[in-house]
Amino acid sequence: MNIYQYDKSKEWFQRAVKVIPCGVYGHFSPAPYAPVEAYPFFSDKAEGARFWDVDGNEFIDYMCAYGPMVLGYHHPEVEAAFQKQISISDANTVASPRMVELAEFLCEMIPVADWAFFARNGADVTNMAVMVARAATGRDKIIAIKGGYHGTSPWMQAPGHHGTIADDHDHLFRIPWNDLEALDRILAEHGSQIAAFMASPFHHPIFEDNALPADGYWQQVVDKMHENGSVVIVDDVRAGFRLHMGGSNEHYGFKPDMIAFSKAIANGHALSALVGTDDLKVDAAKVFHTGSFWYCAGSFAAALACLNILKAEDGPARMRMLGEKLTGGLRDLASSHGYTMIVSGEPALPYLRLADDETLMLQQAWCGECTRRGAFFTSHHNWFLSTAHTEDDIEKTLQIADEAFKAVKKQFGS
Amino acid sequence: MIDQLKSRLNLKAVLRNLEVLPALDPVSAELISDWNISLRFSVWRDTQVVLDFHDGRCVFHSDSKESTSVNLFFSSPAHLNNMFENQASPLPLKGFTKLGFLKKEFSQLIGRLEYFLKPAAETVQDEAFKKVNLALSLNTAVFAIPELMKLDPVSRRIAPQFSAGSLQFSVDPDGPHAHIIFDGQSRAVAFPGPAVNPTAMTVFKNSEVAQALVAGTLDSFAAVATADIQLRGMIPLIDHSNVILDRLPLYLQ
Repeated sequence: MNIYQYDKSKEWFQRAVKVIPCGVYGHFSPAPYAPVEAYPFFSDKAEGARFWDVDGNEFIDYMCAYGPMVLGYHHPEVEAAFQKQISISDANTVASPRMVELAEFLCEMIPVADWAFFARNGADVTNMAVMVARAATGRDKIIAIKGGYHGTSPWMQAPGHHGTIADDHDHLFRIPWNDLEALDRILAEHGSQIAAFMASPFHHPIFEDNALPADGYWQQVVDKMHENGSVVIVDDVRAGFRLHMGGSNEHYGFKPDMIAFSKAIANGHALSALVGTDDLKVDAAKVFHTGSFWYCAGSFAAALACLNILKAEDGPARMRMLGEKLTGGLRDLASSHGYTMIVSGEPALPYLRLADDETLMLQQAWCGECTRRGAFFTSHHNWFLSTAHTEDDIEKTLQIADEAFKAVKKQFGS
Repeated sequence: MIDQLKSRLNLKAVLRNLEVLPALDPVSAELISDWNISLRFSVWRDTQVVLDFHDGRCVFHSDSKESTSVNLFFSSPAHLNNMFENQASPLPLKGFTKLGFLKKEFSQLIGRLEYFLKPAAETVQDEAFKKVNLALSLNTAVFAIPELMKLDPVSRRIAPQFSAGSLQFSVDPDGPHAHIIFDGQSRAVAFPGPAVNPTAMTVFKNSEVAQALVAGTLDSFAAVATADIQLRGMIPLIDHSNVILDRLPLYLQ
């Protein structure tokens, strides 16, 4: 099996780091890739469930652009809808009818949605959700989950990290996932100040196993928050439309007050959406939040096409089936090599960890060996399935994983 | 607060290097070869450390209550910091007969520490010098992390985010190494040398890479991407530690 080299990626990085802080920053940064030499940094070609790096290496992509690719790169119907729209109008001085059509579509498809608000990125709408909750309740404080991620605005970042100040976190309480007693304690001490509870539908931190909601957890959260006069926000930016077309909350059987979507909504075109209940519509109208590119119509058209296809094909069911095949196969394969693979989270966006080494170094080495053979796996973050992945892709991935296990066994033993 | 943290760093991150210096520097080893003396440095209403010299070794104790041959008292953290700037002297409370030793032999040892950690412009930085300088600089940085976690306002906010585990810093192929153990409850302890089963590792490809980082001439982001600096294991331990280490120059030059 060919072992990939990344000479051109390295050359591009050397150019990048001279003119771009960090070279490649944020979630694409090489920093969490361990070993870093197993990963490419640059690509200029992607199709279906694959991308090719600048060295020409081909990868079955299990990160899906960290979520936005859900139907496959360059999906013909999505691209046709996008191209058709931008050929007549994209940026404009007044709003596009496509925005209205998309809002109508979301309100029809998502049980919680009585209205929709659009932006470009996930943090745009998680911030909007918090502002709406504060406007609606007249309160300051937000409860979130330890290790939960809602974007990179200062209040969402880890305290103490560069560019943040102590005041950024003055109005944020972090409690452990699935811990209703912790929620009770915060409500008992600060209830009259709590505007909202915000969490992802299931807990998907990085560098640790993901966790599903305990039985009845979400409904109790909703009940307690509503009793307190507070708002419940689901950050469905990462999982949205991979578990359920009506929002991941429908998969778990509860109804929040607002849901933030992005990533998979337009199959890679820049768009995010906040939907909410009628009770919050006037408050949402009062909040001023906007951006130069938030009205670009091409993304609305792409989202309409993407969501229609996902709905028609029951994309969440397909991704679940593919995810189960992939993770089950990898678990069996690990076992055959004497390792224990822990699969957590949801099959459509699973987190995998080799339990034989708590430091993650074995996991990192194995993901690196898979990647340099053509199955792009990160070791720190949940993976993503798309409807473009095929059973043949998974079969090939398992062959790659088998070779990778043999390689790490030489290094780590079993 | 700043003086208090500086004084703790001077004692627990800088002075603590006397524990490892004799193993690195033959001159220091020869100096302490026949010492049998223990020195206490205590700051009023704050911290104290003990340096115990015997059998050609130096053992560092933090906040030890055991009796010592010499007690050197400092009326405030600023007093101790001034001594480190050669602008003040300690108040000896015990061991008056050892004052000559302190002024001569011990000062020579401190001089060796300064020679490696704060080299004069004319110092010839040959490979042997660089090796000792790198080991002491690495230790100082790692030893500083627990103190910063306690008293630096930014590091105090980061401290609760550390999960339990150990982080090792290593320079390939032959060291030096240093490591820090986090208890998952905002506390940490640091040690010279490698860890047993480290949870996370920062590995410098060679001493030139590590020296460039210490000297501030290395683009660390590029170094990570090119694997000149390799990060392994529980990378959040590394991320949080790096943010804390970025605070060190505010207190130690």
